[in-house]
Amino acid sequence: MITEAKYHPTAEQLGGFARGTVTAGMNVVISAHVELCKECRGRTISLEAEAAAEMLQSVPETRPQSKDFSGIIDSIVKQPQLQTDEQASDPVTEIHMLEHSVSLPKVLAKVASEGLVWKKLAGGINQASVTLDDQTQCEFLYMKPGSQVPVHKHQGSEVTLVLDGSFSDESGHYKQSDFVVRTASDMHQPASEEGCLCFAVLDSPLTFTKGLARLLNPFIRYRFRRATAAASH
Amino acid sequence: MSSAAKKDMPAVAPRTSAATAAARDPDSDESLLIAIGNHQDRTAFNALFTRFSNKIYAMGMKLTRNDQLSHDLVQEAMLTVWQKAPLYDLDRGTAQSWIFTLTRNRCFDILRKMKRQPATVSADDIWPQEGDGDSQLVHEEVGTMEVEVTKIESFYGDLPAAQRAVIEQIYIHDRTHEEAAAVLDIPLGTLKSRLRLGVGKLRQMVGAEQ
Ligand SMILES: [Zn+2]
Repeated sequence: MITEAKYHPTAEQLGGFARGTVTAGMNVVISAHVELCKECRGRTISLEAEAAAEMLQSVPETRPQSKDFSGIIDSIVKQPQLQTDEQASDPVTEIHMLEHSVSLPKVLAKVASEGLVWKKLAGGINQASVTLDDQTQCEFLYMKPGSQVPVHKHQGSEVTLVLDGSFSDESGHYKQSDFVVRTASDMHQPASEEGCLCFAVLDSPLTFTKGLARLLNPFIRYRFRRATAAASH
Repeated sequence: MSSAAKKDMPAVAPRTSAATAAARDPDSDESLLIAIGNHQDRTAFNALFTRFSNKIYAMGMKLTRNDQLSHDLVQEAMLTVWQKAPLYDLDRGTAQSWIFTLTRNRCFDILRKMKRQPATVSADDIWPQEGDGDSQLVHEEVGTMEVEVTKIESFYGDLPAAQRAVIEQIYIHDRTHEEAAAVLDIPLGTLKSRLRLGVGKLRQMVGAEQ
């Protein structure tokens, strides 16, 4: 698609995506951005070629030759081959969400198709958590027009992909397909004038730093623990 | 081309041309893969297996640090290579890159199963195969693009007028979805679905022609 993102994953994040070495949550949010961003699609192809050269390089034999793969070949060649890519059929990416019909990147449509449970948070924010692995907290966030998230900082890093609408914080204004990275040292207060649907991946819980919002902290840790506990079952 | 010479090629070389050059050598990975895909060539599969099984095992050890899982990975990755070989073509890059992506994807699924993580998304959702996505049709490297463009042009006229108008705005005038919807005076959702239908049809027609 032709949407031009202004904010992209870091080289390290995109490299991890190409190599397959990041968490499922991070893979999903990067995949969604890459689908929307021509520039990152091109970079991913180059990074995959680099990763292939690095990961599949000839290695000196580090284990005994005795590892016997001969039986494997015989069983494999008995299997039928695929003549068409079943994947190529267009999956449904238009989904109904919070009274709106929105078009999502394929991987997020898949995530959302499992069914989302929306919760109302303070400040005009709606949130639907999804569990993708045991190291990240992932959620769809919908900020109503005019809403504001309480000032917070992160213990880990937070990645937010804008899916629809826009939001702003001290450092910029973010629109559809923008990939916003915040690290532990950043403190910020996102707000949305026109309303905004995002997908966010946190690799550890938020800490609120101001006023009554601080009361939310134990609750957030609890929620994070629950999300990660759910993943290990 | 020998595999030693291939290594010296810059990784960022247009993937089609690198693969095409390699395919002229009947003993290249690419030629073997095409033989496997075209006529279930078991000798070629044996040769490819010998070349890649140890490399895949080593990649498995890097990613999983587990001997049994790495062994499983060799089996599953090479099974996928066999099954999908008919879908490989030079547009998909070098055989090494293609086999790497299949292996990475199988490894992701194996690890998730092992860690009992939710099966909400699989590797194929995260890294869609090429052939998906409108982008492949128009943003491909120059070599294939010329061929595709002439073909597409001949099919383009057969599309319903509404879909043709949308594709013209997006791919010829290079407008954003929002701009195109405004120009055509249709809702954004309508534009996106017409675009998807039109591009899907074009892709089908181009595919059927090959
Ligand atoms: Zn990007």
